[in-house]
Amino acid sequence: MTSDTALPPAPGAQAPAPTTETQRRWARQHSIGTLWETWGITAVLVVLLAASPLLSSDFLTVANLQSVLRESAYLGIVAAAMTLAVMNGTFDLSVGGQLALVSVTTLMGYAAGGTGLAALVAVLTGMVCGAVNGALVTAMRVPPFVATLGMLFVFRGVAYVLTQDGPKTLPYSEIGSPFVKIGGLNIAGIPLPFLIMLACYGAVWVLLRRTATGRRIVAFGSSPEAARFCGISVHRIRMLIFVVIGVSVGIAALTYISRVWTADGSAQDGFELRVIAAVVLGGTSLKGGKGTLIGTFSAVLLVGVLNDLLVSRGVDASYQRVVLGCVLITALAIDGLRTRFAAPGSFARMLPRRRREAPAP
Amino acid sequence: MSPSVDTAQAPVLEVSGLTVEFPGVRALDGVDLDIRAGEVHALVGENGAGKSTLLKVLGGVYTPSAGTVRLRGEVYAPRRPSDAHAHGIAVIYQEFTLFPDLTVAENVYAGREPHSRWSRGIRYGQMRAGCRELFGILGVNIDPDARVADLSVSEQQLVEIAKALGADGQVIVMDEPTAALSKEEVERLLDVVRRLRDEGRSVVYVSHRLEEVFAVADRATILRDGRLVRTLAIAATDEDKLVRLMVGRDIDSVFHREAVAEGRVVLRLDSVSAGRHLRDVSLDVRAGEVVGIGGVAGAGQAELTQAVFGALPLRAGHMELDGQRFAPSTPADALAAGVGFLHEDRKHAGILPDLSVRQNLTVTVLDRLRHGFARLLSRQAEERTYTEYGSRLRVRATGPEQLISELSGGNQQKVLLARALAPGGRVLVLNEPTRGVDIGAKAEIHALINELTAAGAAVIMVSSDLPELLGTSDRVVVLSRGRVVGVLEGQDRTEENVVVCATTGRRIGVAA
Repeated sequence: MTSDTALPPAPGAQAPAPTTETQRRWARQHSIGTLWETWGITAVLVVLLAASPLLSSDFLTVANLQSVLRESAYLGIVAAAMTLAVMNGTFDLSVGGQLALVSVTTLMGYAAGGTGLAALVAVLTGMVCGAVNGALVTAMRVPPFVATLGMLFVFRGVAYVLTQDGPKTLPYSEIGSPFVKIGGLNIAGIPLPFLIMLACYGAVWVLLRRTATGRRIVAFGSSPEAARFCGISVHRIRMLIFVVIGVSVGIAALTYISRVWTADGSAQDGFELRVIAAVVLGGTSLKGGKGTLIGTFSAVLLVGVLNDLLVSRGVDASYQRVVLGCVLITALAIDGLRTRFAAPGSFARMLPRRRREAPAP
Repeated sequence: MSPSVDTAQAPVLEVSGLTVEFPGVRALDGVDLDIRAGEVHALVGENGAGKSTLLKVLGGVYTPSAGTVRLRGEVYAPRRPSDAHAHGIAVIYQEFTLFPDLTVAENVYAGREPHSRWSRGIRYGQMRAGCRELFGILGVNIDPDARVADLSVSEQQLVEIAKALGADGQVIVMDEPTAALSKEEVERLLDVVRRLRDEGRSVVYVSHRLEEVFAVADRATILRDGRLVRTLAIAATDEDKLVRLMVGRDIDSVFHREAVAEGRVVLRLDSVSAGRHLRDVSLDVRAGEVVGIGGVAGAGQAELTQAVFGALPLRAGHMELDGQRFAPSTPADALAAGVGFLHEDRKHAGILPDLSVRQNLTVTVLDRLRHGFARLLSRQAEERTYTEYGSRLRVRATGPEQLISELSGGNQQKVLLARALAPGGRVLVLNEPTRGVDIGAKAEIHALINELTAAGAAVIMVSSDLPELLGTSDRVVVLSRGRVVGVLEGQDRTEENVVVCATTGRRIGVAA
C-alpha cells in the first residue's frame, strides 16, 4: 500500500456496534487486504514474540534479544535499500558479492590505516560497486537482472582474488580497537548495529515518502510507461537506487565484519537472496509500485527471531533455510488468498447493515 | 433496423431480475433483458451504468447475488469464464485474450486443435482451411499463418471474433469494440457484425458511439445507475431520445466552441519530421486556440504529439515556444517549459495504478512542491494542488488518498487532465481526451477546454471522434501517412472534408 495514511484501526472499529460516522468512513475506505499489506507481517512478528516464552525459556533475556538485534542488522540495512529497488520494479542480485568484497577491502583498510580508513573504504567500495551496477544498467542498457547477476560473480571473484593468500582477518590484539565497537557496543542496552539499522530505515523512509525522487521511484514501479510521460527519467532513478544499495552494503559490512573479524570471497554466500526474500516477505510486490518499509523491517526481525528460536530449540542450522523458505512461501500464499479481501469496504461489510441508508458508492 | 426481426420469437438469452452487489454498491439492480436469435442488441448507458458488470456476469466472471439468466430456456449460471465458452457465449473484452506470439490459426483453434488420431500431431492444414472459411464468413482477409502480434488492433479483434465463431458461439458479446479503430476499420467491423446476425447469431453490442448503435443494432437496452431504463427498437427512436434516456436529462449533444479572439503564436512547428513516418509538418498554435488533429489511426498523430512533448526526438525541423527555440529532449524538459500532455492510452500510459489520486495528480510538478532546506515534499502544497485542480475538474473521489485505480474511467481521465494542467496550462497536448468517458464527463471536459482557451491556453487535441474534433476545435489539421493533407478552417470544417483528406490524401487548405 503506497498511501501513507493507513492508520491503525480506531479501537472499536471492529466491535459489533460501531457508532460514529468516522468509524463508518474508516471501515468503508479500508479493507482487511490493505491493512494486511501494511501491518500483516508486523502482526505476525508480534504474535511470534508473544508466543516466544512458550517455545524457548531463555529467549526473552536481555542478552539474547541484544544478540538477535545485532545479528539482524546487516541484513536489515541492505533490505531497506533493496526495498527501494523492488518498489521500483527491479532488484540487485549482486549484494552478496558486494558484501564479501567490501568486507575484504574494509579489513585491508583497517590494516593500512585503522578504524577511520576502514569505515571510509567500506562506504567508498560499496558506492563504487553500486555505481558500476548503475552504469551497466543506465549507460550500457543491460537489464538489471543480467547486470547484477554478472556483477555478483565479478564482485565475489575480486574478493577471492584479493584473498588468494588466505582470508583477511582482524588480529586478536585489536580487541580493544574502536573498530570492534561498531559491532559490539551497546548504547543504553541497545546494540549499535541495530541503532545504525534504525537510522538507515529513517533515512530511506524520508527518501521514499518525503522527496520527489522517492515518489518518482514508486511511480515508475507502478507503471513505467505512464511514468515516462510524467517526465520521470528512469536512468537517474536507477543510478541512484544502485548507489544507495552499494552504500547500504558498505554500512552493513562495517556492522558485520567488526563482529566476525574475518572475510574472504565465500563470505555470506546467498546473502542477495536472503535480502530479497526479506523484502518480499515484508509485502513489497516484485512487480513494483507497492510496498512498505515497515513490512521489510518487521520481516527482517521475524527472520532473526525465527532463526534464534530454532537455534535455541537445538534445530540444526541447515533447517533454518528450510524454515525461511517455507515462511516465505506461506506468506505469499496468504498474499494470494488475501486478494479476495482487498476490495475497499471489506470492513464495512462486517458492520451491521442499516436497511435504510446504504453506504454511498 | 432490420425488418426481419420477429418480435414473437423466443429469446435465446433471457435475463430476469439480475442483481449484482459489491460492498457498498449495487452495480446491477433487478435488470431484465432478452436477446433474440439473429439480432444485434445494443447495450448503452453512461460509464458506471452497469454495462460491464452485465457482460462479466454473462462471461462467468461475476456471480449475481439475485436473478437468473436462461439460455434457450435452461438456467445458465456460469461459475467461471470456461463455462461461458462451453455454452457458446463469447465475450470479447477490450483487452484481447489472444496469444501474441502464436499464429492466427493457432489462436483461433487454441484449446481445441484438430489432431491426427494416431500421432496426436496437430493438423495445421485443417486449421488453416478452417480459418479461411471463418474469415470468409466474416468477409475479411487475414493470413492464418501471420503472428498475432504483427496484426493491427482491428485485425486482432477480427481474430477474436473468428475464434468465437469457430467455437460455435451463439451469443457474441462485444465490449466497446470500436474504441481503438479508425473509421474504415469501424465500417468493416459493423459489416462483420451484420454478417454474424445474418448467420443467425446474436450479438450484444456495447458502445459509447451512438452512430454505430444506429448503424447496426436492431434493439437497444438502456441502463442507468445499474437499473434497466428501457429496451426499445432502434427503428422507433432517434439519437436525442436515446441520449435523454441514458443521462435522464437533456444534454445538448452538439458541442459549443466559444470563439476566442486570436492571440499570438505560442507554439510553432517548422518542417518537423519525427518517428517512423511523421514528415515535414509545419503548424502554428495560437494562445486561446484549439487545433484539432484528425486522420485515420496511425497517420502520425501520436508521433506529432510526442515530438512536441519531448518523448520522441525530431529527425528534422525545429520548434519554437513563445518565439524561443524549443528543443525538449525529454518529457521533463517539456513539462518544465509548461507543456502538459495527456496520453491516449489511459490504462497503460496514463494512470499510476498503485498511487493515490493526489500522488497521480502532483507527479508532474513535484519539483514545485518542495520546501525548506532539505527540499522535502510539502504535504500542504500537494494538498493545495489537489484542491485547486481536482475541484476545478470536479473529480469525484472519496478524497485525495483514494487509489486512482478505484475510480471510474471518466474520473481517472479528469485526474489525468488535472495532471496535464498542473505544469502551467499554457500549452496542452491532449490525445483522445474523452475516449471511453461517459457523456456527462465528456461535456465537462469540453467545457474545461473552452475555459482553458478563454484563459489563453494553446491546445493541440487529437481525436478520432469526428463530432468532437470538429465541435471543440477552431482549426482542424488532417494528417495522412505522416503528412499534413488538410488545414480546415471556417466553412471547410466539415466531417466530409476531414474524411476525404484522411482517407484519400486529397489536399484541402494546403499547397501541394
